[in-house]
Amino acid sequence: MESATDLTPAIRRARRAYELARARRAVLGFAPVVVLVAAAYVFGDGGPWTTALGLALFACGAAMLWYGRDLKHAVLPGVVAGSVPLVLVLCARQLGDFCTGVSCAALCMDACVIGGVLTGLAVASVANARRSGPRFWLAASALALVTGAMACVCLGVSGVVGLTLGYGAGVVPGLLQRAFAKRSP
Amino acid sequence: MGMPEALRAPNSNTVESDRELDALMARLADGDRSVFAEVFKRLWSPTQRLCMHLLQHDADASDAVQQAMQKILERASDYDPQRPALPWALAVAAWECRTIRRRRGRRREAPMEAADDLIGADAETEHVDRALTRAALTALEELSDTDRETLIATFWDESASTSGPTLRKRRERALTRLRNTFRRLYGIGD
Repeated sequence: MESATDLTPAIRRARRAYELARARRAVLGFAPVVVLVAAAYVFGDGGPWTTALGLALFACGAAMLWYGRDLKHAVLPGVVAGSVPLVLVLCARQLGDFCTGVSCAALCMDACVIGGVLTGLAVASVANARRSGPRFWLAASALALVTGAMACVCLGVSGVVGLTLGYGAGVVPGLLQRAFAKRSP
Repeated sequence: MGMPEALRAPNSNTVESDRELDALMARLADGDRSVFAEVFKRLWSPTQRLCMHLLQHDADASDAVQQAMQKILERASDYDPQRPALPWALAVAAWECRTIRRRRGRRREAPMEAADDLIGADAETEHVDRALTRAALTALEELSDTDRETLIATFWDESASTSGPTLRKRRERALTRLRNTFRRLYGIGD
């Protein structure tokens, strides 16, 4: 029988099984996000950028779940927060049936910016409540922005910039709060 | 009748070691790969003893421990940090041994060397027994009073005097529920 000192091959095999199981679990765990991507595709503009962002979202989310630790804990807050601008923009686009031209584009832009602010506030409040590190902030922000961008991209680069600026405005108070909390004894 | 070895209170070293394993397993479940080898080494020995104890055959036990360790670490991400790690891991290993024994089909006689190996391992076997008993008791605690009483009566063969179709059905239902609870707690199936 294999002795305790000669465990390297067994550890290697077990490690492979562990990583494969985590990868399988990550893909399955992130599968429900396909519904969000499909919604963005069907109710958004359905262009190649939406598809590309959807694929990027799925790849990043599954990779973060597979990696675990801070990144894994950032997945749910990131996607949930990012779905706020997504839903707002998709709703605004549906109102497009009742409005025309510039006013509709302005409505979508407002949805991107306001959605971005709400997303930033949500990510910051979750990160501060959990006292999370910078990796959580970065991972949750990236997922939230990509999720929101799937819808905002219908306005082109300006939509994504609006979302990002809104997000920045929303997240700054949380970052300041965290910075001051660190300084205080 | 005396208390079974497995139910006696474990000593403080064992408790401390179990706590450390719980913490390491929780870190591994969360994705901290730096503890992988440590968890593997800590689980190897009790799993090996358990497989030897259950299969009573060197070659079968050698295969079983490798497969059991793979299965345990494959399921490491499912580990619930609220539960003790060793009973959880040994329950998975015991299930793997059961599967191997079923697969092999015919019963083999345990060689004498295997019995010799076990002589010096009483303490560890006791520890393994204790962990498995804790796993079974945890599953039993989740059942209703009626189911628990039925199974305990069955275990002590008290039901023999009152056997009948009603009790048999009750026992079957209780066993099914115990099996389902065990599956839910330890993530192992048929």
